[in-house]
Amino acid sequence: MRRAAARLLYFGRTALRGLAASPLTSTVAVATIGVCLVLVGAFALLLRNMEELLDHFGDDLRVTAYLEEGLSEAQLRGLAQRARAVEGVQSVRLVSKREALERFREGVGRGAALLEGLDENPLPASLEITLLPERRSAQGMAAVVAALGGLPGIDELASGQDWVEGYLRAVALIRGLGIGLGVILALATLLIVANTIRLAVLARRDELEILSLVGASRWFVSTPFLLEGLAQGAIGGALALAMLFGIFQLVLPGFSFGLELLLGGSAPRFFDGTEAAWLVAAGAGLGLLGSGAALAGDWRA
Amino acid sequence: MVFSRGRRVPPRAGGDAAIRAFHVSKSYSAGSFALHDVSLELGRGEFVFLTGPSGAGKTTLLRLLFAAEHPSEGQIVVLGRNIARLGARAVPPLRRHIGVVFQDFKLLPRRTVEENVALALEVVGTPRQRTRAKVFAVLKQLGLQHRRHHHPLSLSGGEQQRVAIARALVNEPEILLADEPTGNLDPDLTVEIMDLIASAATRGTTVLVATHELALVERYGKRTVRLEGGRIAEDVPCSGAVR
Repeated sequence: MRRAAARLLYFGRTALRGLAASPLTSTVAVATIGVCLVLVGAFALLLRNMEELLDHFGDDLRVTAYLEEGLSEAQLRGLAQRARAVEGVQSVRLVSKREALERFREGVGRGAALLEGLDENPLPASLEITLLPERRSAQGMAAVVAALGGLPGIDELASGQDWVEGYLRAVALIRGLGIGLGVILALATLLIVANTIRLAVLARRDELEILSLVGASRWFVSTPFLLEGLAQGAIGGALALAMLFGIFQLVLPGFSFGLELLLGGSAPRFFDGTEAAWLVAAGAGLGLLGSGAALAGDWRA
Repeated sequence: MVFSRGRRVPPRAGGDAAIRAFHVSKSYSAGSFALHDVSLELGRGEFVFLTGPSGAGKTTLLRLLFAAEHPSEGQIVVLGRNIARLGARAVPPLRRHIGVVFQDFKLLPRRTVEENVALALEVVGTPRQRTRAKVFAVLKQLGLQHRRHHHPLSLSGGEQQRVAIARALVNEPEILLADEPTGNLDPDLTVEIMDLIASAATRGTTVLVATHELALVERYGKRTVRLEGGRIAEDVPCSGAVR
């Protein structure tokens, strides 16, 4: 136990000494990792918000079946019953012509005066079909539309299916771009950390030779370098998190119109604690991998 | 068998011999030998000088003994381990039982004397307090305790070599190899340093000192192996006289 503590102390001290020995190189590496992770983090943040909007919007997703004119009460109830029997439907509500007109009147506000010149109610009765939570998706709506389409008495079926599909395509596109960019930037980060650690190994060649002479094993010599890479990555991750938070708080409000296009009316939110920890951990992981790659060659004296 | 930390390694082969070389050759290019058909045996606690002109193969033999290189031919058994068959992972445990001193000291300039000496203990995970105590004890023994917080470059050549010896001895090695340890020192310091190295042999450490200073060899009257052109030209037993 005391030996392990002594080793840990040695590794920590040596790693810190290594970082302090080349402050400029270490700072450049940390800053580069930070910038790379800001870009990846920004994509992740945007995706997170867009996916959340989908989850949130799903509650309002429903299929509306507009009905033909002149249906009897019994026909209306029959259609509602047919709709309830469709798999994935949670509830069906009949909206009469009168209720539809009232809603319209409330919706247009002062423009309601226009309705006064109408001789008859032009709005059709409809069935508002709410889906089970797990079926509130483009596929779920498509299934209900397919089941009810062509039924006698139903004039038209309307759903947010097209909108949802379009939005999902946008989310998939942004995810794809994010993953592509993430892979490229992760490789760049790996190369930068690997190069920094390689330079550190070369700068401390004498020390490594002496350590080797006194019987240090390879992992004993490597561990401080791995810790250096890990620390650089973690600090880079934390820097990226801080920069993203700054952008989120100070810059984002200036782009509210563009955000509305992507997120609708919902307010964007920042990473929660776990997501923030993942970003820092991603930096630390990249740093560790980069330093591991740098040490993969045989440098031993 | 795994090498134990800080304990003497029980001999596996070769009885009481710490080092045994059987027809060892080392070649860096075809037809040219740095060492040729060298056979040698050093007992535990024995003090031996390795002499010969520059290029005779002294450094090559030392490098083979601490497994910095593998022999091209023959076998070398050090503390029961065959260097010719030693894998990379087995080298560090062996080296923890071998202290090495070089002509150019090989000290880390940015670390203090204490930190330089402590390196040999840190690699085996010696707890900090014990490390400090052992480092202080060995520095005191070599008259350097008052210099422990200094950096090597602020010390004289003799002091730097004493630090290197302290680092080699702090782990109580079974073998001490010294490659021209007095090559950079003036005559007074040469004797002082050699006395320190010789004292290690009195405590049971096998000592092999490579030097081309014949006056020094004569002064101590120890067993002397002379190399010439990579071959053993002469093996003179200990005369026992110290002049």
